[in-house]
Amino acid sequence: MTAPAVPTRTDVVRVLVAGYVALWTTIRATDLLDTLDFAPRRLDPVGPLAFLDGPLPAVVVVLAVIVTPIAAALMAVGRVPRISGPVAAAGFLLITTYRNSWGQLHHTENLVALHLIVLALVPFVRRRDTTWAMQAMAVLTVGTYFLAGVAKLRISGWAWLDGDVLRHQIAFDNARKEVMGDPQAPLGGWILRQGWLLAPSAVMTMVVELGAPLALVSRRLAALWCGLVVAFHLSIVAFMAILFPYHLLGIGLAPLLPVERLGATVSGWTRRSRTVSPTSRPTG
Amino acid sequence: MKWVGIGNRFRPRRWRSYAAEVHLSFTRLAVLSAAVVVLSPLLRPPTSDTYPLSTYPMFAGDRGAVHSMATAVAIEPDGSASRLSPELIAGTGEVVLASVTVTRAVRRGESAALCAEIAERVEPGRIIEIRTEEIDVVALVADGAPPLSFVTEARCRGGRE
Repeated sequence: MTAPAVPTRTDVVRVLVAGYVALWTTIRATDLLDTLDFAPRRLDPVGPLAFLDGPLPAVVVVLAVIVTPIAAALMAVGRVPRISGPVAAAGFLLITTYRNSWGQLHHTENLVALHLIVLALVPFVRRRDTTWAMQAMAVLTVGTYFLAGVAKLRISGWAWLDGDVLRHQIAFDNARKEVMGDPQAPLGGWILRQGWLLAPSAVMTMVVELGAPLALVSRRLAALWCGLVVAFHLSIVAFMAILFPYHLLGIGLAPLLPVERLGATVSGWTRRSRTVSPTSRPTG
Repeated sequence: MKWVGIGNRFRPRRWRSYAAEVHLSFTRLAVLSAAVVVLSPLLRPPTSDTYPLSTYPMFAGDRGAVHSMATAVAIEPDGSASRLSPELIAGTGEVVLASVTVTRAVRRGESAALCAEIAERVEPGRIIEIRTEEIDVVALVADGAPPLSFVTEARCRGGRE
């Protein structure tokens, strides 16, 4: 009898990412289907769908919304990986691109789509060691934050650090919510009244974003950076009511962290519960 | 899994087996490919955003304090205006999408068409206005200040024609 395989980091990350996608596409299904009722004049196709000159046929959208969570769930549990992975990745890319093609570019699903593509490639690479996938995903995670920091420098220069740009961004985002009949962020008004906090907040934002590549240097720096990222996203929720669930839940950060320990713990529990047969339990 | 940082890859070649060499080359290729893909938006202007390879320009520029914001409101019997939800304005729960929808309609001269769309989603007889409001966003959010001024772009009555 062979010992059960201990889950690798790739296994755990696959369960987390594909499980997240299955849940996200199920919860957001009605939002995704809302696009069927949008006036065609509102279509503004982007990315892989930039070639579109009219809305997609309804059957394609409905099929993608139905098939993607199923494929992602199969991918999460490791079933038919050579089919479920590519279908989940392509389906997710299709529905999120289509959702972004109506005038608003969301920035919450970009990393999910890229991570899913890497994970979908894993079964096609004939290697037992999947370190390459985790390293590629870690680079994608770090790269997105680094790009966000670089964008601030390219657009506003070092003036971004004085806190005024951040003040106006927080105010604009909350004002737009107010004008559109939506509640403001819980601490949006408060942070604007505490003017002295804005410059240090801007500096911390840049430290997290431009310092992201340091997370690739060592395990300790990776853990430190991931902690800062979670705090950063919590503050975005508090001040702007913008939720990046994939990042905030730590799933986007998982390739950088020793999540295989989590997998080993869970599989240990499973093994123990299997070995404790009804006859071996104390009858009391 | 052993943590494999970028840094500890640079060990003397003689210490490694051929298989390990091949694996390292593949891993390096994967990492390099990921870096090229995710950083490729640097080749575009920073405000040229797309999906999924974004330049992440969303919080990068200084928006200033005073803004023209297009929105839709309901006019109450006493003449006051009340805010409509994103669902009523654009048929979506997403605030930014609703805001973009009204802004585009105003810019393209389609305010009347959007007003008619909203009218179908509200109770009959309710008066709807598409407006462009001049707002000091810092004063509004920090102190609840009202809009500085507004222009009515279109006006219609709720209920299907």
